[in-house]
Amino acid sequence: MPALAGLLVLFLGLPVVALVVRAVGSGVLGQVAGTRAVVDALSLSLATTAVTIVLTVMLGTPLAYVLARRRFRAAALVEVAVDLPIVLPPSVAGLALLLVFGRQGWLGGSLDALGIQIAFTSVAVVLAQTFVAAPFYVRSARAGFMAVDRDLEDAARVDGAGEAQVIRFITIPLASAALAGGLVMTWARALGEFGATIMFAGSLGGATQTLPLVVYAEFGSGDLDAAVAAAVILALAAFAVLVAARGLGRRALTTG
Amino acid sequence: MHRFPGLIAALAGVVAACSPAGATALPTEAPTAARTTPVSLVVFAAASLRDAMEGAAASYSAALPGVTIQVSTDSSATLRTQIEQGAPADLFLSADTRNPQMLVDAGLTDGPSVSFAGNTLTIIVPIANPAGIRSPADLARAGVKLIAAGDEVPITKYTSDLIERLSASDGYPAGFAAAVAANVVSKEDNVKAIVTKIALEEGDVGIVYRSDALGRDDVTTIPIPGDLNVTATYAGVVVKRSANVAAAHAFLEWLLGPDGQAGLSTFGFRPPD
Repeated sequence: MPALAGLLVLFLGLPVVALVVRAVGSGVLGQVAGTRAVVDALSLSLATTAVTIVLTVMLGTPLAYVLARRRFRAAALVEVAVDLPIVLPPSVAGLALLLVFGRQGWLGGSLDALGIQIAFTSVAVVLAQTFVAAPFYVRSARAGFMAVDRDLEDAARVDGAGEAQVIRFITIPLASAALAGGLVMTWARALGEFGATIMFAGSLGGATQTLPLVVYAEFGSGDLDAAVAAAVILALAAFAVLVAARGLGRRALTTG
Repeated sequence: MHRFPGLIAALAGVVAACSPAGATALPTEAPTAARTTPVSLVVFAAASLRDAMEGAAASYSAALPGVTIQVSTDSSATLRTQIEQGAPADLFLSADTRNPQMLVDAGLTDGPSVSFAGNTLTIIVPIANPAGIRSPADLARAGVKLIAAGDEVPITKYTSDLIERLSASDGYPAGFAAAVAANVVSKEDNVKAIVTKIALEEGDVGIVYRSDALGRDDVTTIPIPGDLNVTATYAGVVVKRSANVAAAHAFLEWLLGPDGQAGLSTFGFRPPD
């Protein structure tokens, strides 16, 4: 039994270990991590995921609150629509986004006439990331809002707090661990976004080529060292996300 | 919570704030003749042109300060699809004449397709050569793992032309083409991916452009008899929607000129037929 359990751990851990060993062993990690493609991709990834996070909080928080608190007939339909990108293959997401925002797309055609282009720009990178990653935040935030004790909110109302004050001073602080946990997952998913990005935004250095796309592009063009360097940066980020998520999970347990 | 006008305004603000990040790639400058305004050209180039284009971009920028060239490489078919969907390319350099011609026919180009380089094919095997490939005839041997490219990738057309020529020549058995086709274990997105897979010994043999194998120490080449080899013709087109049409034409002309051709030849390319 322990042998079988150990086998899976080995299988899950070994590839990442091999990646790190290769990066350290090749001795060119620092040199390659300093190449233009990797540096450009790193700054693009940080900038686009930051915008994705801002968009997700601004649009996702009201949605999660409504889903948690309001009873309405289409709620189930809305929930399915919000969850769908989580299970949708990213290449399907990319194609679907292209059909809406592409030059021949539903909205893209009109935007094109106005001289606004979305597909194959940095904006498309953000839209692809938001499409696939925002649902993680909405799910977590919705669960967080639902777990808030309504009596505490009512107590605040009795003390004369308005609805906005209840949300600002009671609901959001009590749900903060769930909100933060959702954001961490959204950021991780946005940072790792590949399929929708390459289809909807392309892979142009400095404009749409994020870190996961560099891994693919450098591998495809025969530069394994650069691919490994970009991959290790992503692996470290993923590791940091897990550490953060565990910390937030513990906080949610102790405060919630 | 229903503050949608505010949210939409905020969203527009974020999208606008995000735009400068992509501005380097978006041709925003007017195509004036004045060389004082810096021009950033976006060149979509076939995967096999990657190293050659990075070299060309560097020498062109050195010769013409103020012009920077950003190269995005992938399969010519993928790049063509991206341009059809509105990708902001100024110039498209394809590993064939078919994909640029499709853009010309669709009315998406400024001017006709221009042939600017040629290439020939070569067979590559890993240094260890685990399948013991010695000649093109070995491509058909049972059990050989052949790494090929997708049907839309230009090299696939050249490769099937080559296999056809080999089948028709002396010493190649009947059913050679079918046996080669049966050995294909993977169809890569572009030709550079074939080189990577062979260098990693994930396959026994691949057929790539001569320029792909030149100067690489992690693969061995098996020559193809010159009279049976296939010539690939590379053609380029200027994208009509480009805001840098004049600069794109100028770069394409430079590629056709002595400096451009000399640069391409150091990467294993030959002049167009």
